[in-house]
Amino acid sequence: MNSIETVLHEAGLVVTCGPGGVGKTSTAAALALAAANSGRRVIVVTVDPARRLADALGIDGSARSHDPSEVVGATTHPKGSLWALMLDAESTFDRMIMDRAGDAKRAQTILTNPIYRSIAGSLGGAQEYMAIERLHQLWSSNEFDLIVIDTPPSRHAIDLLGAPDRLVTFFSHPIYRIIAAPGRSFARVTNAGSATFLWAVRKLAGPKVVEDIIEFFRSLSGMEAGLRQRAAEAATLLRAETTAFVLVSSPRAEAIDEAAHLVDALEAGGFPLQAVVINLVHPTPTPIAAKQLPKDLPPGPLADQLEFYRDLAALATDEAREMDRLRTLAGDVALVEVPLIDDIHDLDGLTELGTHLLG
Amino acid sequence: MGPGRTTPEWLGRTRVLVVVGKGGVGTSTVAASMAVLAASGGADVLLVSVDGKAGLGPLLGGAPLGPSEQLLRADAFAAGEGRIRGRTITPKQAFGDYLELKGFGGILRRAASAASLDLIAGATPGMEHLLVLGKIKELDRLQSADLIIVDAPPAGHATPFLRSASALQTAVASGPVRDQADEVAALLADHARCQCVMVTLPEETPVNEVIELAYDLDHELSLALAPLVVNGCWPQRAGLSMTAAAAARKQKVTLSVETRRVLDDVARFGQSRLDLQAEQFARLDDRLPLSRVHLPRLPVARLLPDHLDVLAEALAVTPTIPASAAK
Repeated sequence: MNSIETVLHEAGLVVTCGPGGVGKTSTAAALALAAANSGRRVIVVTVDPARRLADALGIDGSARSHDPSEVVGATTHPKGSLWALMLDAESTFDRMIMDRAGDAKRAQTILTNPIYRSIAGSLGGAQEYMAIERLHQLWSSNEFDLIVIDTPPSRHAIDLLGAPDRLVTFFSHPIYRIIAAPGRSFARVTNAGSATFLWAVRKLAGPKVVEDIIEFFRSLSGMEAGLRQRAAEAATLLRAETTAFVLVSSPRAEAIDEAAHLVDALEAGGFPLQAVVINLVHPTPTPIAAKQLPKDLPPGPLADQLEFYRDLAALATDEAREMDRLRTLAGDVALVEVPLIDDIHDLDGLTELGTHLLG
Repeated sequence: MGPGRTTPEWLGRTRVLVVVGKGGVGTSTVAASMAVLAASGGADVLLVSVDGKAGLGPLLGGAPLGPSEQLLRADAFAAGEGRIRGRTITPKQAFGDYLELKGFGGILRRAASAASLDLIAGATPGMEHLLVLGKIKELDRLQSADLIIVDAPPAGHATPFLRSASALQTAVASGPVRDQADEVAALLADHARCQCVMVTLPEETPVNEVIELAYDLDHELSLALAPLVVNGCWPQRAGLSMTAAAAARKQKVTLSVETRRVLDDVARFGQSRLDLQAEQFARLDDRLPLSRVHLPRLPVARLLPDHLDVLAEALAVTPTIPASAAK
């Protein structure tokens, strides 16, 4: 049993992370499928799957929903099942506001506030926070033996993992505390710090924005304690013993550089890295003895083949060197190489990828 | 143009050139190669990284990029005049510069920095992007280089980045932010001042994504699109479609059984890549009426400064025009 197999048997949460364009989402799905085939009830949560992969998992854009959908026929194991969910940060955020706002009128005030809309849409790390929020909901539901969550490309992955901590910091920000204090209108926000802040915003972006800011912070204030607690729980979950991080990379230097940076960041954050997967590795041709190679060959089909043979051999050497750098950094953590396979867009492709992942 | 390489017509069309593409397709490589091509033709090039990526510096043989401009390459060009400078632009930095430029004195500057950009940016959708684009607009206005190449955030983030100005025009009715949004929108929409270079790979998912991106940029934002750059193309080698035995016969050479077996494997792998790639070229021909430049896949895992010259050479080739675009 290699370490990935152990992870799939024992972990309750697997987080895949890595640079963009290395097949991270496919890897997450293949890991989930493999675990389902071993008899576990598994859900794979993705952020932004390529269309054909999403189709294969039955979570194409049109079917985007808040609830997990079962991938029918994914596994023949009597006890196993595979579920998929495409994360929609905005709707998760909206739902959370509705759940916690207390009454519908208040929820509506928040949901239509332009500041809220911009935060929920894309800015301020809200997407990342919502991924964690949704993860926490799935975890608490106890409906799954294993949750495999795919993170956005690396730099954003660190944002994602830090989101719960950041939210807590946000609520501790002096500006927030002052503005959110009850019973004050803008005219009565007398504290020098916040008054200057609002004055600066007004000067730059106009009075409407200032009103929106005050209203937004005000409406959030009752929810603060709940959000804080949730954030703290999520932060603990990500560092739990049953949580395993799987770092996915390709052998290209830029990807390896980012992956190396991630290894450090995970360690610094106390996130348990359990395996490293290097995807998209080119095949190494069997060496041909120099005396077997024809010399001074004019252009032609055989010359084409020999040229390509030399290119592939050079590429393999170069890739091996890059992978060694990551192997050294990863230390005791197992590293699995996965050969380049064609664009994966169905369950067969995921099964093939899974075979390579489990060695 | 200096006595060096001849730069293609499209590269000289605008001063500002924004390079966009999904993570992993090589936008930084393409931005750097374009800089090399333009500089070797005698242009004064400024490379700007907006995603906090410092790696463009070392790729060009310099130090990692930072907020102040550094000279990356000059004497390498026979033309003598061409040079490449590089820098990063982050929202924070752009914000400080902006306040200074607009003559906002002590109190607002202090207030703004105390409030932390995060909060102001959180309060105003697209503000961070707008600040960065505003700085680029300023560099354009000052004519601080013949060519300003912007390595944009990855697709997914590229559209919000480029859309920030028009979004803010809707959200903010008046004031300095509105003025800034108006000016940035004017720059982006001006096909004589700014164009976008999209980068993709000859693979299914990147091709799907670039088709979507093209429609966003063209239909929705009316940006000028430069030729599409397809990075990482396997060089065409007709001999890969044959068995090693047939290839050897054709060239009147005898090979050992062992050698034939190895070459058969190699050729089969190569041909399968070429077939997949041809499929994607056909899809692009069909669905994206945009001229294209193909950059070769080099047999290395780590690109070195010398490789950029090879890619620059490939970029200099006149783009091919698919039939769908000729109509």
